[in-house]
Amino acid sequence: MGDIFIWLISFFILIALVVLLIYQLTCLADLEFDYINPYDSSSRINKVVLPEFFLQGFLCLFYLLTGHWVMSLLSTPYLYYNVRLYTSKQHLVDVTEIFNLLQREKNQRYYKLAYLVVLLFLSLFWIIFSALELEDD
Amino acid sequence: MRPSSTPFASAPPTVRPFSSSGPVAGSESSNFRPTPPGAPSTLTPFSAVGPSPPSRFIDPSVPSPSVKSVPPSGVPYQRFPTPPFPSAAQTPPNRAPPVGQPPFQPPASHVSVPPPSFRPQTQVPPVPMGSLPQNANFPEPPSDPSLSGPRPNFQPPFPGYPSKQPAVSQAPSPFSAQQGSFMAPPAPPSPFPIQQVSYGPPPPVANNLGYQSRDQMQHPGSAPPIGGVQSLTEDFSSLSVASMPGSIEPGLDYRTLPRPLDGDEVPSSFLEMYPMNCDPRYLRLSTSAIPNSQSLVSRWHLPLGAVVCPLAEAPEGEEVPVINFASTGIIRCRRCRTYVNPYVTFTDAGRKWRCNICSLLNDVPGEYFANLDATGRRVDLDQRPELIKGSVEFVASTEYMVRPPMPPLYFFLIDVSISAVRSGMIGVVAQTIRSCLDELPGFPRTQIGFITYDSTIHFYNMKSSLTQPQMMVVSDLDDIFVPLPDDLLVNLSESRNVVETFLDSLPSMFQDNVNVESAFGSALKAAFLVMSQLGGKLLIFQNSLPSLGVGRLKLRGDDLRVYGTDKEHILRIPEDPFYKQMAADLTKYQIGVNVYAFSDKYTDIASLGTLAKYTGGQVYYYPSFQSDIHGEKLRHELARDLTRETAWEAVMRIRCGKGIRFSSYHGNFMLRSTDLLALPAVDCDKAYAMQLSLEETLLTTQTVYFQVALLYTASCGERRIRVHTAAAPVVTDLGEMYRQADTGAIVSLFCRLAIEKTLTSKLEDARNSLQLRIVKALREYRNLYAVQHRLGARLIYPESLKFLCLYGLALSKSVPLKGGYADAQLDERCAAGFTMMALPVKKLLKLLYPSLTRIDEYLLKPSAPADDFKNIMKRLPLVAESLDSRGLYIYDDGFRFVIWFGRMLSPDIAKNLLGPDFAAELSRVSLTEQDNEMSRRLMKILKKLRESDPSYYQLPYLVRQDGWYHWLCRLDNANTPTSPAKLMIYRSSLLNVVNSSAPADESSPGVKTTTGKKGFARLGLLSMVVASISCLDVGQRQKTLKTGSA
Repeated sequence: MGDIFIWLISFFILIALVVLLIYQLTCLADLEFDYINPYDSSSRINKVVLPEFFLQGFLCLFYLLTGHWVMSLLSTPYLYYNVRLYTSKQHLVDVTEIFNLLQREKNQRYYKLAYLVVLLFLSLFWIIFSALELEDD
Repeated sequence: MRPSSTPFASAPPTVRPFSSSGPVAGSESSNFRPTPPGAPSTLTPFSAVGPSPPSRFIDPSVPSPSVKSVPPSGVPYQRFPTPPFPSAAQTPPNRAPPVGQPPFQPPASHVSVPPPSFRPQTQVPPVPMGSLPQNANFPEPPSDPSLSGPRPNFQPPFPGYPSKQPAVSQAPSPFSAQQGSFMAPPAPPSPFPIQQVSYGPPPPVANNLGYQSRDQMQHPGSAPPIGGVQSLTEDFSSLSVASMPGSIEPGLDYRTLPRPLDGDEVPSSFLEMYPMNCDPRYLRLSTSAIPNSQSLVSRWHLPLGAVVCPLAEAPEGEEVPVINFASTGIIRCRRCRTYVNPYVTFTDAGRKWRCNICSLLNDVPGEYFANLDATGRRVDLDQRPELIKGSVEFVASTEYMVRPPMPPLYFFLIDVSISAVRSGMIGVVAQTIRSCLDELPGFPRTQIGFITYDSTIHFYNMKSSLTQPQMMVVSDLDDIFVPLPDDLLVNLSESRNVVETFLDSLPSMFQDNVNVESAFGSALKAAFLVMSQLGGKLLIFQNSLPSLGVGRLKLRGDDLRVYGTDKEHILRIPEDPFYKQMAADLTKYQIGVNVYAFSDKYTDIASLGTLAKYTGGQVYYYPSFQSDIHGEKLRHELARDLTRETAWEAVMRIRCGKGIRFSSYHGNFMLRSTDLLALPAVDCDKAYAMQLSLEETLLTTQTVYFQVALLYTASCGERRIRVHTAAAPVVTDLGEMYRQADTGAIVSLFCRLAIEKTLTSKLEDARNSLQLRIVKALREYRNLYAVQHRLGARLIYPESLKFLCLYGLALSKSVPLKGGYADAQLDERCAAGFTMMALPVKKLLKLLYPSLTRIDEYLLKPSAPADDFKNIMKRLPLVAESLDSRGLYIYDDGFRFVIWFGRMLSPDIAKNLLGPDFAAELSRVSLTEQDNEMSRRLMKILKKLRESDPSYYQLPYLVRQDGWYHWLCRLDNANTPTSPAKLMIYRSSLLNVVNSSAPADESSPGVKTTTGKKGFARLGLLSMVVASISCLDVGQRQKTLKTGSA
């Protein structure tokens, strides 16, 4: 019974992460097409970078504490990447160089997005799996 | 129209006999274009010649004699009255089939269409055999230096030295190779080597000879193939790398290296092709032939782009005209927003105009309407400078303003801590500002304000009703606030007295200050708060490492272990994100920052300079500033900074035609959108570089246009748009790109790319990538010709790029890039990097290859007329041999003079110039005017040299041949211990481009120690040369890469 709630929570956390990433990507795309200026774009992105990191860290911990260590293990590379960005102080977009780094920043977020979508499907699978199990019981 | 060059038009009589003169075709090779190896289909440029008139527009895929496309007769020869489009009219027939002919023909119309290639189909094997004088096929405008000189092309283009003709041994080979393929086997090649020396007649002659030889052809066998010999004038210059008898080290003979003794040469052919282009001082393309395809771009290994100096100083009489459209509004294209320029075309009886960049038809506003004459030109053309001049300035209306035009605003942020007081900096600055008050641009609107700081921040109320400025001290650094809403920034003309009182008392106010701290970050924030309403120019005078409040910095660069590792570059980027954020905010509020740094200790220029970099400013660095030594330099440069014409709250955009776009920008500015450069304060000493990329795989247009538009507020309060327009042809041929290359622009782009690279990787990587690109480019060029010519151990390079190797080497030995940890102080390196990122092309080239002139003879001459200044200022090559120990030399790199006293220089001269203490250590003597003719003359020379470029002030450093040591200590930094290695490197940086082998004077210990280093410098160039040669063999590629990066 508890399992399905755990999966539901992780599912919503993942959805939230995906939304945060898509938000960052739209900011970058808007910047590229000159809808907003670099100052607004970078401040908007930088506002959500740390929440994204924390949320992801929390998700990882959450998996670990609830005993789903395989899922936890699957999300550690992402966590490791984030921590490395943070420690080398590259996690925030640099407003002065944003145009030169645009492509890199976008690619980085696309990869993250793909990664999250995979996790999302996995957790969806687990929701259904545990729901079916619940039914069986 | 030249009669001699009309072989097409329905088979002129002279041509006819040919078709039947089969076997003797050998000497006719002059009519072939060199064919690029990359295009196999172009290898058959031989027209099949039947009885019918020959044509060169043969579809190579169908070599049958019966198939040919005869061009519309006469079209290619027509001379068009209006310059912009003749090439368009000429080219279509040319480019239809890929014949390997450069499709572009200079419209200046000295162009004779290349003679057709007559070649009996049966005789000729399909090998590319054209050796070809460029001249015959593709005449360039006569002023091209490579062509006009009587100098044989085979000779190394270095007039100063007797040529050793190193290439002789290899040179004959091309002939025999050709003969082999053309003629019956045993043609003896013997006569050729002898004639070789006389190669390379001036172009017109070559042309004539081409025809002569054709005449001879009519009598087969009657004459030796002179035409063939003449035709071998090569398309390139060359340099032999074979070892020379008598030279100490085998390899390159350094005397044959070309050297840029005439300074920067702007390729003139381009301007002649498009006379309505803007002057090259505003816009220079790295090659004025734009490649038409992606594949061509990938084979052009040099940077493809432009260097723009939008406000370059124009000489008298060439000022940019200012145009006021008033009620009409500025004429721009509806779609791409291009400004009206000389290349737009008017149609529909003058009611419409076609944009040259996006080719949209626009309506001509009623007030701007004018009738067209018979040739389609507007009748009022001569009253419309915007339609005949490449550079114009429009007065912008209110729609180009987001707020009323700002007044010129100068704000000074002055460090008054103990080190600033001791160095005397405050005195010099206060004095200079005071003396410039009258000349500040924009009277009577000019605004001015001051903040001084040590561990606290001092604001000054300069309200005009006060008699004395009021000082307010804020010591809360964490939460900085402005104590007064107004009156910190005042109108200069109203508060003139208060400002003057303040400046007079400033030095004495702090003379007893013993505060060692510097709350720079907080002071900067305070200045930002004061200025953010208006924007303007912020001048920062910083004398120590910021140590308090936000943005405090640590001592970096002491840890030697970091150097040479992957973390090394971190030392060259700002440590604290505060500086980048601050720079971004400053730009946003239209504040430009100039940083003046004076400290004798580490000040972290890497961080401070960031402020200047992203706000379009510049960094002035005076290490170990002492007012009695460096005062004059600071005075001059600060005065220049304050009084030069400045463009405020500017943005710049460069537009270009369809299919290409500018992909990256390099220089001191901040990008506000993908292609908009934000420049809060810009002036004539700033240049910006950008790189081009192709968006489409194939360009279909014949010409591309570039338009630089700078929208700014002039000091007088008028909003203006400065527009520079240039056109460049599109080519399909790599050789043409090389021919139209502009070394200056390429070097400038290389310089910026390399400096940017030092911010993300090791110095060594930056140098290697620079070197590798040059090697690749030369290799590609070599491949163009390697097939037709047996090149042997020769380096070949296009005439237009003859100095590229040298500048490349000089660049990798320039302060921001050279050596490792010990070779330049970190601060010095960063400061030079920021400076070079903004330098215009001319100035950069001078810095890379400084001028060296001998002046003792002039000084001794009893009564030399004053006007022969040009004559005495003959530049010498920068080799140790140029220095005679009996001479007196001036070395001028645009930033400083080094006056070199030979060891055996007559003591009289020294005495006259230096006064009684001439025998003392020169490093302690400063050069002042003595009361004698000789000294006055020297001063006059220095003054003249300085006047030739006022953007920086050159301080003279005196050096005696034996006494380099002390000079180096002084130059280097008196406080740090100088290791011998450091000295050696320093010395070689003086003559850093020296490629010589022999020391000037064996007995001079100073020079001797440097030999090793110089040898190394030579090796650098040599390895480039060798690498580009050995790559001939594909199998050796691996090895090449190794040598290239050695």
